This record gives sequence, structure tokens and C-alpha cells, in this order.
Amino acid sequence: MIHQILDQIGSSFGVTWPKFVAQLVLFLIAYFVLSRYAFGPIMKILEERRKRIEEGQLNAEKIKKQLAEAELRYQEVLRKANDDAQHLVEESRRNNEAFSQREMEKAVKESAAIVERARHEIASDRNRMVDEVKREMVSLVVKTTAQVAGKVLSPEDQKRLSEEASKELSS
Amino acid sequence: MAFPISLIASAELSAESPVFLKDSFLGWLTNSILVTAIVVGVIVWVVRACTRNMQVIPGHGQNFLEAIVEGFYGAVEGILGHKMTVKAFPLLASLFLFICMADWSGLFPGVGSIGWFHTHDGETEFTPLLRGTTADLNMTLALTAVSMTLWFYWTMRVTGPVAFMKELFGVKGGMSGPILLFLVPLFLFIGLLEVISILVRPISLSFRLYGNVSAGENLMSTMINIGSLLHAPQWLSSLLGVIVPIPFYFLEILVGFLQAMIFTVLMIVYIQLSTVHEEQH
Repeated sequence: MIHQILDQIGSSFGVTWPKFVAQLVLFLIAYFVLSRYAFGPIMKILEERRKRIEEGQLNAEKIKKQLAEAELRYQEVLRKANDDAQHLVEESRRNNEAFSQREMEKAVKESAAIVERARHEIASDRNRMVDEVKREMVSLVVKTTAQVAGKVLSPEDQKRLSEEASKELSS
Repeated sequence: MAFPISLIASAELSAESPVFLKDSFLGWLTNSILVTAIVVGVIVWVVRACTRNMQVIPGHGQNFLEAIVEGFYGAVEGILGHKMTVKAFPLLASLFLFICMADWSGLFPGVGSIGWFHTHDGETEFTPLLRGTTADLNMTLALTAVSMTLWFYWTMRVTGPVAFMKELFGVKGGMSGPILLFLVPLFLFIGLLEVISILVRPISLSFRLYGNVSAGENLMSTMINIGSLLHAPQWLSSLLGVIVPIPFYFLEILVGFLQAMIFTVLMIVYIQLSTVHEEQH
């Protein structure tokens, strides 16, 4: 009964074993080709790409973390460098002030010494000039006395006159 | 050349062999098998062209194929889960692509309209050279046979025969006690209904696809010949034959896609019903 119904359906719709098998084989070829050359390789490459993206994201996260750490380290180094620089500036300022103080004291001392030396030289020059003037004056007194007396003065007279004139000039 | 147009518009239930091959050893080579071979050839050619040189950074062809595969894979994985999708995806995607292309192949000019007239039992008949392959019940039965065989194989592998029988006939809901006396026959009956529904699946799958595509072919044929059917003048009949089918072409493109989708989605559901609960456990 069922066999007859199936036969009737088969003949009505043109279903026969050879035609069915031919269609089956053709579809299986398509299935095989698509599985073997399309879906398999594509799924493999999609998986590979997914892994790469995942790795890329992980790397990006890692780099981000490293960057944050580097930023912290940089801030720390910068802060330390600032502190050091501040410290150095402070120290150099202190050193500079002490140096300036020392230099100033030294300059003052040197200038005082120069002044003292100049004063001493002036005094000695003055004394030397006074002595010279005295000598000139004594000589002049002797010459004048000889011309006034109209005679040639002996060495003893000249000595006496010189001593007297010197005494007079000193007083 | 005056063809008896009404014959072209009439329903053709079966695929036909060319007259000169009918009684030879190539009698099985029908016009729809010829279209199947062309469709398979196109699939093979396109796939090989797109995947000959696969790269991580894809070219246009590879990118196109990847977009289809990736989109479809995501949709299937959402229903079947990862484990079953890895197994079933090649079949499901092949079914979808093949049925879609096979459905649309019937819309190409010349398919179903270029052929020859011959006399059979005193009547003039028209046999097209090419015929939409899914409008042949042999094809839809072959698709169903492959699909249901693999469905059964995966069900047995993943669920196992005992668990499958339990799933069909077992009492659900964790009931125990005297109430089982009432529930066991009830669930046996439900299981029997379930078995019938499983047995009907191949028939419903194959006849749905065949019926829809055949009806579409008949519809197109009728629309092309509507002028003659209405006994309009020859010039009007030719004009109507060009203009009237245009919206129906779009309808058939949509129907072809939908039928491929329906067939594939039903297979996904069948696989999901018999295997995925095991994966979840």
C-alpha cells in the first residue's frame, strides 16, 4: 500500500533513483568543495585574525600599562631632578654669597693695604722732597753767603753754615 | 514562430530529459540536473577564485566570502553554541548558499523558456533545456536526505541513543511517585507524536522547497504569457510579457532567499532541539 503510494508520488513528480542519486552527488560535491576550500580555510583565517586582534588588544593593554608606569617613573624622576636642582641652586646661592663675602672682605683688605701703601709712599716722597729742598736751600745759603761775604769759604765754614742752615730749616 | 504558448505556461511537475537522451544510458540527465551541475560549477569556480590565495589581510573576493561566512557563523553560533556550530556550520552554510543560488538560477533568462516542442501521446509538449533545480523534487529530496542523515548522526554522537530515547519518551519535569502511572502513558504518546513529527520533517522540508520554487516558476511563466492567456493582440501580448513579470522577478528573488533561509533555519532548529540541551548540561 505505502509502496504503491510512494510509487505514485514518484512517478507524478518524476522522482527516480538515478535522478535522485545524481542530484545527491552534485550537492555532495558542492558541500565538499565549500567545506574543504571555503569554510575551512576561512574559519581558520578568521580564527587566526581573531587571535591576532586579541593579542593586539593584550599588547595594547600592556603598552598602556607600561606607558602609565613610565609616566609615573618620569614624574618621579622629574620631581627628583627638580628637588636636586632646587637643592643645587640653593647650595650655589649659599656658596656664592659666602664667596662674595670673602671676595668683598679681601677687596676691602687689599684696598686698605693699597691706601696704606700709597700713604706710606706719599710720606716717604714728601720726606725725600723736603730733604732735597733742604739740601738745595743749604747749598743756596752757602753760595749766597759766599757771594755776600765776597770771599771763598773754607770747607769748615761751608760745613758750619750748612749745619746752621739745616738747624734753622728744621726748626 | 508561433508556439502553443499555453503549453509553456502549464504546470510541469517533473524534470525532463532531452528527448534524444530519454532512452539512452544518460536518461537520468535531466534539465534540472544540468542546472545543478552549472550551479555547482559556479560555486566551485567562485570559491576557488576567492580562496586561492588566502591572506590575513583579505582581497576583495576573500573579503566578500568572509563577510558571508562570518555573518552566518555568528548567527548559527548564537543558536547552536560553539561546539555544535563547529560541526554543523559547513553543512548549514552549504545548504544556504546552494539553495539560494539554485533558486535564483531559475530566474535567469532562458531557464525554463528555451527548449523544444515534441509530440507525446498525440499531444504537443514543451521541454525546457534548463529548469530551476530546486523545482525538481529529486533535488530537494537529495538535500533533505543529506541534511537529515547528518542530523541523525550528530544527534547520536552528541546526545547518544539512550538519552535521545529518554528525551523523546521520558517523563519531563522531575515527577515521581504514583502520578507517574498517569504520566508515563501520556509521555509515551507525546513521544510517539514526536517520532511522527521527526519522520515528517524530510517530507515537509523537501516538499516546501519544491512547492514554493515550482509555484514561483509557474507564476513567472504565467506572467510572461499573460497576454496570450487573455487572448490579447500579439503586440500587446509581447509588451505585457516584458512588463508584467518585472515585479514578480523581485518577488522571486525574495522568495528564493527566504526559502534558502527557511530550509537552513529549520535544520538549525532541528539540530538545536536534539543536541544543544546536552551541550548546555
